[in-house]
Amino acid sequence: MVSTAVPAPTAPARVVSPWNPANAVTASRFLCLPPFVWAVHGGHHQWATIIILVCGLLDKLDGLVAKIFDCRSPFGEMFDAITDGICYGFCLLVVAWYGWAPAIPVAAILILGLANTAMRGIYAKRAGRTVNYKSYAMERIVAYTGYLIGFATGGMEVTYFFWAYVPMMTIIVLHDAKRMLIDAVPGAQL
Amino acid sequence: MTATQFKWFLTILTGGLAGVWVIYDLWNLSRLRGKDTSDPIVADKRFGYYMGILIGVVGVVGVLRFHGVV
Repeated sequence: MVSTAVPAPTAPARVVSPWNPANAVTASRFLCLPPFVWAVHGGHHQWATIIILVCGLLDKLDGLVAKIFDCRSPFGEMFDAITDGICYGFCLLVVAWYGWAPAIPVAAILILGLANTAMRGIYAKRAGRTVNYKSYAMERIVAYTGYLIGFATGGMEVTYFFWAYVPMMTIIVLHDAKRMLIDAVPGAQL
Repeated sequence: MTATQFKWFLTILTGGLAGVWVIYDLWNLSRLRGKDTSDPIVADKRFGYYMGILIGVVGVVGVLRFHGVV
C-alpha cells in the first residue's frame, strides 16, 4: 500500500462526550429491530415498511440533533455508520430469510458491506485515529439500502431494485477502496 | 391502509424522492463546473453526484415499472 500522509490542519481539539443526544438517537435505531422481526414474521407488510421507514428517519434525525446540540464527533460519525451497517444488514437478512427478497443479491450486498467496513477500519488505522471515511457516493447508496428493505416489505419491484443495486454498490466500493487503501489520508498522524 | 393506498404511499415515497434527488444532484453537479478536478474532494463529490443521479433514475424507472408503464 502506498501511504503518503498529508499533515493535519492545526485546529484546537474539542472533546465531545460519546454520551450525547445525537448518539442516543442513533442507538435508538436498534429498538426498531425487534418490532421489524415481529412484523415480517407475522406477514405484516405495511407495519414492516413503516418500521423500516422510522429507522431511516432516525438516521436523518441524528445528524440534525448533532447539529442542534453541537455534539458532532468522529466517534458519532463512526457509530452512525456502524449502526447503519448493523440495522440494514440485519433487516436484509430477515427479509431474505422470510423469502421477501432474493437471496443472491442480499448475499452480495452483505459481502460488499462487510468489505467496505473492513476497509474503513484499515483507513482509520492509516489515519491513526477514530475517523469516518467520507464518501458522497456511499451516502447515497446507503439511503438506497434503507429503501431496498422497504421495497422488500412493500413488495415493490423487488427483483429489479435488488439486482440494480448490486452493480452500483460494486462500483462504489471499488472506487472507495482506492481512496481508503491507496490514496493519501488527510490529516494522518505520523 | 388499503392495498391501493399503500401502493400510492410507496409510489410517492420512492418516486418523489428519486425524482427530487435526480434534480438535486444535477444541480450539485452543475455547481462543480469549473472546479479543480485534481482535488480529491471535488473528484469524490463529482463521482457521488453521478451515482446519486443514477440511483435516482433507477428509482424513477422502478416506480414506472411498478405501475406497468415500462
